[in-house]
Amino acid sequence: MALGFAIGVFGVLILFHAAYSTIQYRGLLKITEEEFSGPPFNVVIELSLGLVLCMWAALTVPGKFLSIHPDSEENRIVSLPANLDFMIFNHRGKVFPVEMDLKLKH
Amino acid sequence: MVHSESGSEEKKSSNAVNDLLTFNAENMQNNMKIIYYSRTFLSIIGGVVAGILGFTGLKGFVFYLLLMAVTSVGLVAKAKFSTQTYFDSWNRVLLDGFLGGLMSFVLFWTFAYDIVHIF
Repeated sequence: MALGFAIGVFGVLILFHAAYSTIQYRGLLKITEEEFSGPPFNVVIELSLGLVLCMWAALTVPGKFLSIHPDSEENRIVSLPANLDFMIFNHRGKVFPVEMDLKLKH
Repeated sequence: MVHSESGSEEKKSSNAVNDLLTFNAENMQNNMKIIYYSRTFLSIIGGVVAGILGFTGLKGFVFYLLLMAVTSVGLVAKAKFSTQTYFDSWNRVLLDGFLGGLMSFVLFWTFAYDIVHIF
């Protein structure tokens, strides 16, 4: 999980570095007054590498898929849900005598 | 005896065509959230890449379509190619978050294009 996050951050840093290289390349093109037809080849390689790393991070960081079958192994219901339908208040505890001078035990 | 009855009931409720009538909704929501996060993040990254590469007009949208197609393949691979176990229909895996991602893509595309090519 942390590894995926680190790879994602690394991919974004590579993209920023590629952006900075392209800005410098455009500055160079302005000096020589040529047209911008596309970033240089190594910037394209850098961008595809950054894209691959970010794609890997985007698929692994958010978490695993959980099965939605109600009868699969990891979806077993092992405790009753805590809603009022399952709480019983009408039990035999009411026949115990109420002690009026109870003190808190330390 | 009770176990076999409940087992056959749940089998009756799942037809052949991705149509689970009873499923675990909380896990379904978790899976949808994962798809949404993945697509949004990749739309933003794709927007930045399209801006840096200097795509204008139709080329950028074609790039976005390609990116979303690769993302769909990646998500189906993450679900180990059996989307029935994790989702209730194909459309959710392939098309959910497509339009929301498109808007994030265009936003970051214009943003990156301005920073890299205009200033």
